[in-house]
Amino acid sequence: MSDDAHNNDDGHHSLMVNNKKLLMWLFLGSDCMFFGTMISTHLIYRKLYPESYDPTSLFSLELTSFSTFILLMSSFLMALAVSAMHKGDIKSFRRNTIGVIFFGLIFLGCQVYEFTEFVHAGLTLSSGTFGSTFYMLTGTHGVHVAIGVFWLICMYFYSFTGKMDAHQSAVDVEIAGLYWHFVDIVWIIIFTAIYLIEFI
Amino acid sequence: MSSTLTDTPTSSTTHDHALKPETSNLGFMRPDHSKSVLIDWLTTVDHKKIGIMYGAIALFFLLIGGIEALIIRAQLAVPENDLVSAQRYNQLFTMHGTTMIFLAIMPLNAAFFNFLVPLQIGARDVAFPRLNSFSLWTFVAGALVLNFSWLMQAFSELGWFTASGPTAGMDDFVPGMGWFGYAPLTERQFTGAGTDFWILGLQILGIASLGAAMNFVATILNMRAPGMKMMRLPVFTWMTLVVSLLIIFAFPAITIALGQLMFDRMFDTNFFQVAEGGQPILWQHLFWIFGHPEVYILVLPAMGIVSEVLPTFSKKPLFGYPIVVFSGAVIGFLGFAVWSHHMFTTGLGKVATAAFSLLTMAIAVPTGVKIFNWIGTLWGGRVRFDAPMIFSIGFIWMFMMGGFSGIMHSAAPADAQQQDSYFVIAHFHYVAIGGILLASISGIYFWLPKIVGKMWTGNLSTWVAIFTTVGLNVTFFPMHFLGLIGMPRRTHTYLSGFGWDGYNMVCSIGAFILAFGVLLFVIDIILCMTKGKPAGNDPWDARTLEWATTSPPQHYNFGRTPIIPARDALWEHKHGPENRNINFEADDGHGIHMPSQSWMPVLASFGFAPLGLGLCLMQVGIPYMGYVAIAGLFTIALGIILWAVEGPGGYHLHPEEDKI
Amino acid sequence: MSDAHSPSETDHNGEAQKYHAFINLALALAAITGVELVLVYLPINQAVIFTVLIALSLFKFISVIAWFMHLIYDRLLLTLAFGTGLVIATGTVIALMFILDRSYVDFEAITAF
Repeated sequence: MSDDAHNNDDGHHSLMVNNKKLLMWLFLGSDCMFFGTMISTHLIYRKLYPESYDPTSLFSLELTSFSTFILLMSSFLMALAVSAMHKGDIKSFRRNTIGVIFFGLIFLGCQVYEFTEFVHAGLTLSSGTFGSTFYMLTGTHGVHVAIGVFWLICMYFYSFTGKMDAHQSAVDVEIAGLYWHFVDIVWIIIFTAIYLIEFI
Repeated sequence: MSSTLTDTPTSSTTHDHALKPETSNLGFMRPDHSKSVLIDWLTTVDHKKIGIMYGAIALFFLLIGGIEALIIRAQLAVPENDLVSAQRYNQLFTMHGTTMIFLAIMPLNAAFFNFLVPLQIGARDVAFPRLNSFSLWTFVAGALVLNFSWLMQAFSELGWFTASGPTAGMDDFVPGMGWFGYAPLTERQFTGAGTDFWILGLQILGIASLGAAMNFVATILNMRAPGMKMMRLPVFTWMTLVVSLLIIFAFPAITIALGQLMFDRMFDTNFFQVAEGGQPILWQHLFWIFGHPEVYILVLPAMGIVSEVLPTFSKKPLFGYPIVVFSGAVIGFLGFAVWSHHMFTTGLGKVATAAFSLLTMAIAVPTGVKIFNWIGTLWGGRVRFDAPMIFSIGFIWMFMMGGFSGIMHSAAPADAQQQDSYFVIAHFHYVAIGGILLASISGIYFWLPKIVGKMWTGNLSTWVAIFTTVGLNVTFFPMHFLGLIGMPRRTHTYLSGFGWDGYNMVCSIGAFILAFGVLLFVIDIILCMTKGKPAGNDPWDARTLEWATTSPPQHYNFGRTPIIPARDALWEHKHGPENRNINFEADDGHGIHMPSQSWMPVLASFGFAPLGLGLCLMQVGIPYMGYVAIAGLFTIALGIILWAVEGPGGYHLHPEEDKI
Repeated sequence: MSDAHSPSETDHNGEAQKYHAFINLALALAAITGVELVLVYLPINQAVIFTVLIALSLFKFISVIAWFMHLIYDRLLLTLAFGTGLVIATGTVIALMFILDRSYVDFEAITAF
């Protein structure tokens, strides 16, 4: 009974793409518009009032580059985790997943540290348009990362129940991977459009 | 006489009672095969039941929105009327618009999508049945949050409650800032909790729509029966696909806009606060980037319905099927490029205004192409003027009239005078009532016999058609002139002496004629459901797969998977050559795999109610409401986790063999 | 039922190739991030740096999607599903950036600066 369950149907796949994978890609397409709208709001306000705020003294490009690097490496480990589950290697899957979780938590830690420093320096949600757009954008991204970390923690513990194997769970791990990578590439855009741009 | 592919299986119902529910991976009993009607309908993942619930709720809110409209028209019947106060009037037109769009038409479209699409593609159910249930109940939660505001307003009027905290001193609890919520009016200084109810209500409804849209795209792309190629799909299913993609790509814009507004109101950000540099025009852009695709989301399903009804009652295939499908897709895609035609008078600049004006004119082309194809379908056909046909033909003409005023708007110079006048109201009510409502009524006349298994009684449909069409025209045609002679929108009353009095009186009379037509329609539905004779499987001698099932369909839809030889598969089967008959896949002995019912999506959805209400009531100053909101968030998260862990489950049915 | 990637013993060679691709990509991404960090401090023309940054970001974006997210190994449909969202989002951002302009801002009304 559970052999078809992971495909959520009776086996008919008109376009030979797994249902869950298709759903996740559609969701990511939607999330593109979601982050695109927020990023454009930020860029619009920076275009309108470039002189209203100079974040170069506040931004620590070293810290942000470090957290970008961390997130990129976590993506690498995630790809390995997906690969491991495809091969049915649960132990390798767990090792890599713990790695992703760990790196994700470091990233979140960097974000929290950064936000705390900024607030102490006087940049809050209410600080003009810059504070509003900056915190909402990076904050929403951070929430996405946190949800991803939570998802992976759930998966990690679920892997101990013995119910995960290559046949049933490869898709589930793959879509968690897709979500995680997406969160990473959104950060790539944010890093360039929010941080690096201010310095040139 | 019905021609059917599937005889009524004799043993399926007794089989159900013999089935026992199993436990899920969580260890709880799955709510399958429940004897309780309430539990069965609450936990159902059956697309047909979900469709029926969407439809019933939608019709309820259609009536509510209609009553709001009647009060508006009663207020405007004579100059300087004091039937309702200015504040109440603003709330009425805001709720009328919001209700009609989000609580009536969108769920009515969802009802049609849900019931029909799996049947039309030869599938068992949608790709993600539990997600379908989640969408329905999240929609209910959103409707609840939005309309809870009326209760708060009543308490305020009775003197039992005054706002304190963030919205202290403001007594508008029902949204009154227009269904488009323009900043800066919606900012924390200018409107009360009504705006918060509106924001949260729409966010929740948006989540419901997004879930459903993704589900339908996956279903249509992946769950088609063998031989059901994309270009063999019924046009209605194609329109469902386009609309779902529109929802997926358009809703995020309003989600962010609403989020930004909410942050402005609750957390002191400055997205639209002018003094801090916020630009209210940004709200308009973001809203209409969503808002324009939204109107195509509303109308494309109607066009899909008409594209099914016209061929059926002309006994001819749809003229130019590939072009109709392609035009639908082009309309959807171009719909993202025209949003600023709602902003021609905001000073966009010459280049932007010209660009949007031209693109808006361009979008009329595929629409016109469809109209020609529909007429081409009628031409030379053996036309039968049954109820569904009358309304579809009415759609063609009335929607076209709405299209003409739309084209007049697309010329930016002309729009400079028409903007914010009654001309706009005339335009969109012609496309909404003349277009969407008439097509939806056509669809209900067409498919209700399939849904409930009973046929319509008597000739009331003729009177429904007469009163709705006459009512529509008497109400809204004069509004073209009202707009051109200068009456502005959204004013709760007007002075005598502008030449508006006569027109307004006529419009108000028309509104009651229209209302009477809708009342007759409701009566007709009740007559059908109580006194209707059994409809049979295919009472209209139709063309598409859903008519190959029983009426109502068995809950497993098709006993064995059909293999589709051509477009209009059922018609070819009935009237075409031997090699175009529908065959069935061999029975592999496993029986039919049915998805299990579940509490978890219901649990997750209902968490949205405390989340939304908690935040709104926090804004009116009720203490501890923040905790209620957090509790709601936890409920949602818990529901989703349990949903993931319980596993999809499923059971097998073995009905009698289908005979062709 | 099979999806686009059914695990099998014969696939190990393909998996090993992908593993190498992943490692190489990870190293490339790390290197590019370093380059970006240095680049903004260099005394080169602003427009040049801007263009190079955009190009590097685009490369990172596309390569993560193509390899880590597997899109290059998957069906075209998925690329279309995601790509449509991307195109619409990009088009909207660009349109908005052109439409909203400083010349329309009423600086009198802004008391903050």
